[in-house]
Amino acid sequence: MKTNFKKIAFFSVAALLVAACKPKESKTDYTAGDLNLSNFVAIGGTSTSGYMGDALYREGQENSLGAILAKQFEIVGGGLFNQPFVAENSVGINTDNLAQLILGFKTDCLNVTSLSPVRKASSGDASIFSDNLYDATKPFGNYGIPGFYMAYAFSPAYSSQNNFFKRMASSTSASVIGDALNSTPTFFSLYVGLDEVMTYAKAGGKNTTLLTESQFQALYSPIIDQVTSVSNQGIVSTLPDVTKMPYFNTIPYDGLNLDEANAASLNAIYNPIGLSFVVGKNAFVIQDPSAGTFGVRQMVPGEKIVLSVPLDSVKCNKMGSVFPFRDEFVLTLDEVNSIKNNTELYNNYITAKAAEKNIALVETDDFYASLTSGIVFNGIGLNPNFVSGGAYSLDGINLNPRGNALLANEFIKAINAKYKSNIPTVDATLFRGVIFP
Amino acid sequence: MTFLAGNFLFSQGFQVNFQGQKQQGMGGAGNALPLDAASVFFNPGSVSFLKENSVNIGFTPTFANTLFEDANTTSIGRTNSPMGTPFSVYAVYRKNEESKFFYGVGIYTPFGSTIQYEDAWTGRFALTKLQLKSIFIQPTVSYKLNEKIGIGAGFVYTIGNVNLQKDIPVQDADGTYGHAELDGKASGFGYNVGFLVQATEKLNIGLSYRSKVNMEVAEGTATFTVPSSLTANFPSGTFSSALPLPQVATLGLAYKLNDKLAFALDVNYVGWKAYDTLAFDYAQNTTSLIDTKSARNYKNTLAFRFGANYALTEKFDARLGLAYGLTPVQNGYVTPETPDANRFNYTAGLGYKIGDHFQLDASVFFTHLKRTDTNLETNLSGTFTTNVLAPGLAIIYKF
Repeated sequence: MKTNFKKIAFFSVAALLVAACKPKESKTDYTAGDLNLSNFVAIGGTSTSGYMGDALYREGQENSLGAILAKQFEIVGGGLFNQPFVAENSVGINTDNLAQLILGFKTDCLNVTSLSPVRKASSGDASIFSDNLYDATKPFGNYGIPGFYMAYAFSPAYSSQNNFFKRMASSTSASVIGDALNSTPTFFSLYVGLDEVMTYAKAGGKNTTLLTESQFQALYSPIIDQVTSVSNQGIVSTLPDVTKMPYFNTIPYDGLNLDEANAASLNAIYNPIGLSFVVGKNAFVIQDPSAGTFGVRQMVPGEKIVLSVPLDSVKCNKMGSVFPFRDEFVLTLDEVNSIKNNTELYNNYITAKAAEKNIALVETDDFYASLTSGIVFNGIGLNPNFVSGGAYSLDGINLNPRGNALLANEFIKAINAKYKSNIPTVDATLFRGVIFP
Repeated sequence: MTFLAGNFLFSQGFQVNFQGQKQQGMGGAGNALPLDAASVFFNPGSVSFLKENSVNIGFTPTFANTLFEDANTTSIGRTNSPMGTPFSVYAVYRKNEESKFFYGVGIYTPFGSTIQYEDAWTGRFALTKLQLKSIFIQPTVSYKLNEKIGIGAGFVYTIGNVNLQKDIPVQDADGTYGHAELDGKASGFGYNVGFLVQATEKLNIGLSYRSKVNMEVAEGTATFTVPSSLTANFPSGTFSSALPLPQVATLGLAYKLNDKLAFALDVNYVGWKAYDTLAFDYAQNTTSLIDTKSARNYKNTLAFRFGANYALTEKFDARLGLAYGLTPVQNGYVTPETPDANRFNYTAGLGYKIGDHFQLDASVFFTHLKRTDTNLETNLSGTFTTNVLAPGLAIIYKF
């Protein structure tokens, strides 16, 4: 009885100690440093808008670069970040009036069904283009506009050319930069120039040209001048080498697999002009006006086939072999190198401008390069593989929410380094990757 | 019967010294001090110096809380591990006082844990739960060579179970992540030998060696819960693995200052180097499910334990102890399953005799661990802070 009482006393004390036994969180001092983040505006193109899975839709916007940054800025006193939201249940829409991509099952011409990106609906949600969401009392923070080219930065009435801008324009005569600066942002991000490169690359370099170094400079310079004349604090981003994205690396240059009969028939066709084929792996055949008399040759390592190539025609109708790939499906070595070299020249200029304007610079090209070689964070491995890689959305170009979160972290690190701020980066495990059925 | 063992947390840096309440009150020292039947574990050689036949049953409910603070974000993760339940049962017997042989058996739990993190914590793809149970069964013989020297040896048979769970970074339409659960029974063999010499009237010197036990999981069950389109990529099936429980060599000193006060010092050398890789070999591999070999690269370590026993009265003993353990986990290898660090252990204890046959021993143990690291395999980067509190009680029957 005495012992019993002692026991009870002993365990009561123990229980109290256990409650006190939980480790306490350490206090981290998050601070804006020299920054004024009360009004943050993100200016950019497709990649800034929240476009992913080849369409603009709600979830993408909620996980846009600017939205993720603004949420972290809030921790150190940042203001609201309004976006021209698409309806929650919308299937989204892209410039070709198609809905967002989701992962589903697709049966090909060989009657093989496999996991593949498919459209969420037979057509996109064009209703979003009939809205105008502008509200002078709630200025937008996200001026990332799908398909935005620098050449139109100051165009009045740009809304007549770009339906995505039309949804948010302050008037039918508004320009993108004019509207973006209308609310006098205290801090900005500027990530432009990528849509121009992407248009060239997605078209296989056909019928378009890349901006030359001087053209790029002539377009970029007035934008950065104008933006910094209103907001002297901000961050500019370099551009990734787009040829490393899954869109250009999913179909290998030597993906032409031949059996004996097919190899023989191709040899019969092509041996006379000096091309030969073996059983097994072969380089695809492409049209190239500069290749000899016939303008036909086989691909070489480093050349890219775009993801928009009609795969059924490749599998069942001898596209890429008997019928060579047309120019618009291929990036030749020259084109790949032009993209790479020009992007570097653009980036040199952006870097110099950041220094000149005394603002932060995020080397987004380095982030994409690391993604190309593979990133591991908190036990999640990310790589540039189409669908399974985990960072790119199903269009093979734009990042998914998780990829955006990691890119936003690079922005935050660059901002912290420049402005003596201590803004926490975001926990990218809380953002989704690819959704599997 | 589900007697889960203690917490893996204590097995790092030094072995789980929850094998005897008297010793626990004295910082875990007791190699050279033949206090009671727990010597079967601490030093089989000292068993022969015991004065009575006895049965000793002890239990140490263990409460551990770990907090993970991400180095770069505001994310934190806490554990909600269940109470650890290390226990020990010893019995020692000799025919009569003239007999030089003492026979004994020990059943104890020197390794084992359940560490469970809260749902959706940021390290979920590294670990969500690890449960390791092991029970050591040790029949022992101890022999008194002469008045001054005793030797002893025990055979160790170990049975156990390991259950490891983590999330897989593939999501279904609801946003639910895939989950992997690896579960398997393990068993192994080893031995425990010891030697005790009464160097002087006051000073004892002991040596003991517990061998490594390799816990092999021959045919575990791997269960994967993934979106239906990926079930072929993650086929549930069997796996094999092994976990080494390290060898421990101990030098013990005990010094009796007078009739009331005794001191004990143990130095453990723990062969954690044996744990260099955690490998899982799946019976069925796919492009998504490959065999894994994760580097652990543990190093051999030392632990120092010091304690004192003071006889307050005829009936009451008071004990106090302090231990310092060096972690075997090198920088770059800290994982959520063993958020280990160098640490001090603080202990206290009380003994109470009830008549001629019964005795109660109580102890309390506290330790605080803090470790900041970036894991080389997962890049999980942050600070683990752990507090452990373990009150224990034993009842002894002497005959």
